[in-house]
Amino acid sequence: MSTQNPAADVSPKPVAAPPSKKGGMSDLAKAEERLAYLLLLPTLVILFLIAIYPLGSVFYYSTTDRRFASSQATEFVGLDNYQQLLNMTVRELPRQLDEAGQPAVDPDTGEALYARPNEVLITDDGPRYRDVTTFNLLGKRYVLGATDRDFIDATLATIIFTVLSVVLETVLGLGVAMVVNSNFAGRGPLRVLMLLPWAIPTAVSSRMWEFMFDPTRRGFFNVVSQKLGLTDGQVSWLTERAFQLPAMIAIDVWKTTPFMALLLLAGLQLIPSDIYEAADVDGASKFRQFWQLTLPLLRPTMAVALIFRTLDAVRVFDLFQIVLAEKRYSMASFAYYELIKNQKMGYASAASVIIFLLIFIFAVVYMRALGVSDEQ
Amino acid sequence: MNNNILGKIVFYLLVVVVVIYLIFPFYWMLNTSFKSEAQLQMTPATFVPRDPGGTGAIDFTLKNYQAVFQNDTFLRGLLNSLIVAGVTTFIALVVGSFAAFALGKLRFRGKTPSLYLILAMTMFPQVAVLTGLYAVINALRIPAIPAMILSYMIFTLPFTVWVLTSFFRGLPMEIMQSAQVDGATPFQTFRMILLPLTMPALVTTGLLAFIAAWNEYLFALTFTSVEPQSRTVPVAIALFTGQVARQEPFGEIMAASVVVTIPLLILVLIFQNKIIAGLTAGAVKG
Repeated sequence: MSTQNPAADVSPKPVAAPPSKKGGMSDLAKAEERLAYLLLLPTLVILFLIAIYPLGSVFYYSTTDRRFASSQATEFVGLDNYQQLLNMTVRELPRQLDEAGQPAVDPDTGEALYARPNEVLITDDGPRYRDVTTFNLLGKRYVLGATDRDFIDATLATIIFTVLSVVLETVLGLGVAMVVNSNFAGRGPLRVLMLLPWAIPTAVSSRMWEFMFDPTRRGFFNVVSQKLGLTDGQVSWLTERAFQLPAMIAIDVWKTTPFMALLLLAGLQLIPSDIYEAADVDGASKFRQFWQLTLPLLRPTMAVALIFRTLDAVRVFDLFQIVLAEKRYSMASFAYYELIKNQKMGYASAASVIIFLLIFIFAVVYMRALGVSDEQ
Repeated sequence: MNNNILGKIVFYLLVVVVVIYLIFPFYWMLNTSFKSEAQLQMTPATFVPRDPGGTGAIDFTLKNYQAVFQNDTFLRGLLNSLIVAGVTTFIALVVGSFAAFALGKLRFRGKTPSLYLILAMTMFPQVAVLTGLYAVINALRIPAIPAMILSYMIFTLPFTVWVLTSFFRGLPMEIMQSAQVDGATPFQTFRMILLPLTMPALVTTGLLAFIAAWNEYLFALTFTSVEPQSRTVPVAIALFTGQVARQEPFGEIMAASVVVTIPLLILVLIFQNKIIAGLTAGAVKG
């Protein structure tokens, strides 16, 4: 158990000269300052080596076509990687025409038929767009095309996942926190139970839920949904696009709501109970007490919890990589596969930079919106 | 009065719903881990392991657990995880408490920027440095286990420094002054007087650092991709393959998951108050 400062050995000066009585404050202050720098040094060196320098090199790689584990010379490509990742277009899909030149409809359903996305996206000149998704707006149908369909899809998936899971976790977390905040028998065991989903590795919870989402009636969700008469019990929850994100959100909500609830619970316990007594005397309803006392007083705690959760959700990796692998990407798992499988280091770095900037924007917006920046 | 009883019933119903929601996936994991391959293939899946012959009798098997404890990749993963998480925690506490002492109790120029740097680092997204860090580790030819230990400092060290700094700051200044009067250097004061007082905070931050390092997946997966013998438990479970190729051995995967969950359950049972205090330290003071 070495409590000796490891950096002291390389220092040319003694850690702290014994303060001489005549030296006065300035010598003592200098010695104190020197000691402070020495003590901070290991932390700063480690953080520089593993975070700041790599971050700088990620920014640099993102402007090159560097490949991983390759002897091929690396060339500077400017913003080409970013252009490839982010280049998008929205084009209107024209109606299909029947033989008579009239807009065609599906003979079975009566729904309008539109041209296939590739017909409007692929042109002889210009970038090669591929369709990400189609959507309706004001009675017309549009297609979103992107040069890197997977990355844009990963970005949309990550944003939808982040917004929905954080909102659900906050609302449910607040509910659970208020339940646990009341004094009742069994509160202690419940708190242990709440820590458990947070404490287990995401790898474990992902595998657990993966089997519950099994595409046959071996899986819990297929058994239940069939018993309720909702499905035929053969739903591929993790392969069908419509179910992928809801499944991811369900798993994340299970794992993280208790954590959210514990944070909010700590905030609730800081609120003195006599203000509620006063509100009772004034005849304020429980509902009004919640909106006008609890929520405002909980705001600082909620702000911090929201920031941490959002930043965590934007960089989601474990869950997507384990449960969906390459069936659907999050931004982080996209970057991982580009690096490890495709060995495209420059390209993966550009994706990482975009994640970094997105997280940065989320953090700044939150701090502004919730007013936590100056009060600290 | 009637209203009161009704309220109580609704309240306890809510509690029951929350409890079932929290427990059920664990129950399903346990249930699956006790099923044989034949029982796993039964449709619809049974809520307790039942005899596949059709008698419906309850029938547990421990075969999955036997397989897991004979699985070298998994056992090695447990050992690797223990080493990585243990050493990470130790280094983070030693290095972190130095920095926290300086930031919490000493006066020096550049303190505020240092504090902001550390705070910003606690929110740092690991994936943002993945490619750069991998390049550093390859360039320095660091093997996977030390590479994981080093890289885990990214999320353990800033957090440790941050929590310990606020703890040191809360210790009364008189302790330092009286030690100084007695002729102790600031470092002696730190080592012999402040550090023992910090023990509770060290336990709390150490636990959180250990759990975070034990659970980490992104760096572990990346750095062990060419070094499978260094895989940690989360990677081993994510990549778990059985004797028979193609078919995913969910019985064994769930048994392995149970084995990993039990020590964490024990940690949580023993240290629940410390863990909650550590988790909420940042949030509530914020």
